[in-house]
Amino acid sequence: MPFQARESAVELWISEANGRSEEALLSLEQEIVGLFDEMRNRLLRYALSFGLSIPDGEDILQEVFLALFHHLRQGRSRANLRGWVFRVTHNLALKRRSANQRSPELAEADGAAEPCDPAPGAEEQLLIGERRLRLLAVLRALPETDERCLRLRAEGLRYREIAQVLGISLGAVSISLARSLARLERAEMR
Amino acid sequence: MLNDDVHLRDEELLRFADGELASRRRARAREHLAACWDCRARMAELEKTIVSFVHLHHDSFDGRIPPASGPRSVLKARLDAARNSADEPQSRAGDFWGRGSKLAGLHHVQLYAALLLLALGLGLFVHQERVLERRQAGLAGIRPIPDRSLTPGETRPVGWTDICASEQSDLDPAVPSSIQRSVFREYGMDGAPTKDYEVDYLIAPQLGGTADLRNLWPEPYSSTIWNAHVKDALEDRLHQLVCQQQIDLATAQRELSTDWISAYKKYFHSEKPVQGSS
Repeated sequence: MPFQARESAVELWISEANGRSEEALLSLEQEIVGLFDEMRNRLLRYALSFGLSIPDGEDILQEVFLALFHHLRQGRSRANLRGWVFRVTHNLALKRRSANQRSPELAEADGAAEPCDPAPGAEEQLLIGERRLRLLAVLRALPETDERCLRLRAEGLRYREIAQVLGISLGAVSISLARSLARLERAEMR
Repeated sequence: MLNDDVHLRDEELLRFADGELASRRRARAREHLAACWDCRARMAELEKTIVSFVHLHHDSFDGRIPPASGPRSVLKARLDAARNSADEPQSRAGDFWGRGSKLAGLHHVQLYAALLLLALGLGLFVHQERVLERRQAGLAGIRPIPDRSLTPGETRPVGWTDICASEQSDLDPAVPSSIQRSVFREYGMDGAPTKDYEVDYLIAPQLGGTADLRNLWPEPYSSTIWNAHVKDALEDRLHQLVCQQQIDLATAQRELSTDWISAYKKYFHSEKPVQGSS
C-alpha cells in the first residue's frame, strides 16, 4: 500500500474512532440526564431525610450524577444503577450531615436554608394533628438504620438494594422494617 | 419457618406483601392467608401503618422540593464540562490505544504518521479557533455586555417577598417601542435592524430591575454565543437561587449588572452556554 494511502486510512480510522467516542459520550450524557429526571425527587427526598437543607441536597445530587457519569464512562458495571445512585446519595448525605454538625456556622454562612423536617412549630402542630406528631416523634426516635430502611423502602427500593445501600444483611432489612412498623403502629393507636 | 398451624409473623407478612418471599414460601404464605382471617386482619393493620408512614414521608418534603429545571440545567452544564474536560483526551487516548489489537500490528512508521496527522490536525484546529475568536472580537458594536456609562443598571425597592412570594404575572414585560427607540439612539444605533436585537433589561424585572433607560440596552440575539436567550436562562437561574435563599437579591442584581457572562459561567459551571439556553 502506498504511504499516502496508508496515511489516509489511519486518519480515517482515527476520525471514525473519535466520532464514535464523541457520540457515545453524548448518548451517555443524555442517559444520565434522563436518570436524573426520573430519580431526582426520590433521591432529594432521601437526602433531605438526613436533616439537610435543600441546597445541600441539590449539591449532593449534582455530585451523585457526575459520579455516575464517570462511573459509566469508565465502563464500570451497569448492574442495578438505582441501588448505586441511592448508595452514593446515602454516603454523601452522611458525610455532609457530619460536616455540617462539625461546623454549623459554615453551613449557615453558605446561605443554607433551614434544614428540612425540623421539629414542627406550634402552628404546624395544629395543622398536622396529634396522630402525625406521634408518628414523627417515633420516627425520630428510631435507630438510624431502622429509619433509613423505612425511607429507602418508601422510595421503592427492594430489600436487596436496601441491604446494599446500608451494608446490612437481607434478613436485617426485613427484621428492621417489621420492627419499625410495629413501633409506628403503636404510636398511631395511642 | 412457615407453619400452617402457626400464624405468620409480621416479618413474614411484610415480606409476602413486598414480594420478597422465595416462591415456595410465598405459595405457603398465600395458602395460609387464604385460610386465616387473623393473619389477614394483621396484614391490613400493617398496610394501614405503611400508608400512614408513606404520607408522612412525602408530606415532610414534597411541598418544599423546588422544580427540577434549574438543577437539571446545572447538571447538563457540568456534564458538558466533564465531557470536554482536560482528562478526556487521555481517556480517549486510552480507548484509542486500548484497541491495541488493531494497532499493535501496525508498523512504527504508520504510528508516527498517525501522530503527525494528529499534531497537524490539532495545529489546524487551534488556528481556526483563533481566527474565529478574532472574527468575533472584530464584530463592531456587538459586544454582549452593555456600555456601563449608559447602562449601569437600575433597581426598584423590592425585597425577597416581592420577588419570590408573590406571583409576577409577566417576568419579562415588553419594553414600549418609544423607549426602545430611545435606547437605540443612546447607543448611536439609529437605523440598526431591530429584529436582530432585544432591548433587554440589564437587571431583570423578576429580580427588581426597572424599565429605565439606565437599565436597558440593545442586546444581540444571535451575533454572539452570549446572546439574549443565554442571559434569559441566567436570569431564571438567579431568580431560583434567590428564592431558595442560596444567594441574596443584592448579589443577584450585582452579578447581572457587573458582568453577566462571568456570572453565567459561575452559576452554570460552564465556560460556554449550555445547550438549550442559546
